[in-house]
Amino acid sequence: MSVRVLLFGAVAERTGRRELSLDADAVADVADVVAAAGCRDGETLLVAVNHELVRDPRARVRDGDEVALMPPFSGG
Amino acid sequence: MDAVRVQEADFSIEAEVTALRRASSRIGGIATFLGCARDFSEGREVAAITFEQYAPMAAKALGALREEALVRFDIIEARIVHRVARVTPGEQIVLIVVGAEHRAPAFEACRWLIDELKRRVPIWKREETPAGERWVTPHP
Repeated sequence: MSVRVLLFGAVAERTGRRELSLDADAVADVADVVAAAGCRDGETLLVAVNHELVRDPRARVRDGDEVALMPPFSGG
Repeated sequence: MDAVRVQEADFSIEAEVTALRRASSRIGGIATFLGCARDFSEGREVAAITFEQYAPMAAKALGALREEALVRFDIIEARIVHRVARVTPGEQIVLIVVGAEHRAPAFEACRWLIDELKRRVPIWKREETPAGERWVTPHP
């Protein structure tokens, strides 16, 4: 089973992908997903799990979750 | 029309104000904020702006913002419309309309809603400039 990862804006551009699927057994928490997606250290990143912002990199990620890796918002 | 929407199409201020007024005849003051595309940003000419969103989260965050404003301020109704499209200078981007019995809470809620929208709603803008395209870094 898997964790669906979506990348947006400048983050998608830098990593060269907009979506990836990770093996749920290979990622335990948000930090694992960020590393697996190839995001840079120190990059300003907002993370949402199932459409809710998550601040703790140690927040658990489970099978079937949707994780979004996002640059700071710039709407309005 | 839903009270909060993210859409590609342009919107009508008149239609949104009319819809807001239909919510209650007790509304005595209406504040609006309209955000438009500029032709100049951070020292560069801007030919167009393209928006990207994380749709399910943006819809949820906008709905939550409206609900929170209705609780936090002494207002009767609020509507929020944000476009996600390629827009050129002068075009409309975002509209906030707030109705209250009196003007003070309408103004306060309107200001709070646009500030919080920028902070909480997953939408991004990319500008087309003479030096190429660039994602906009938000400023406080």
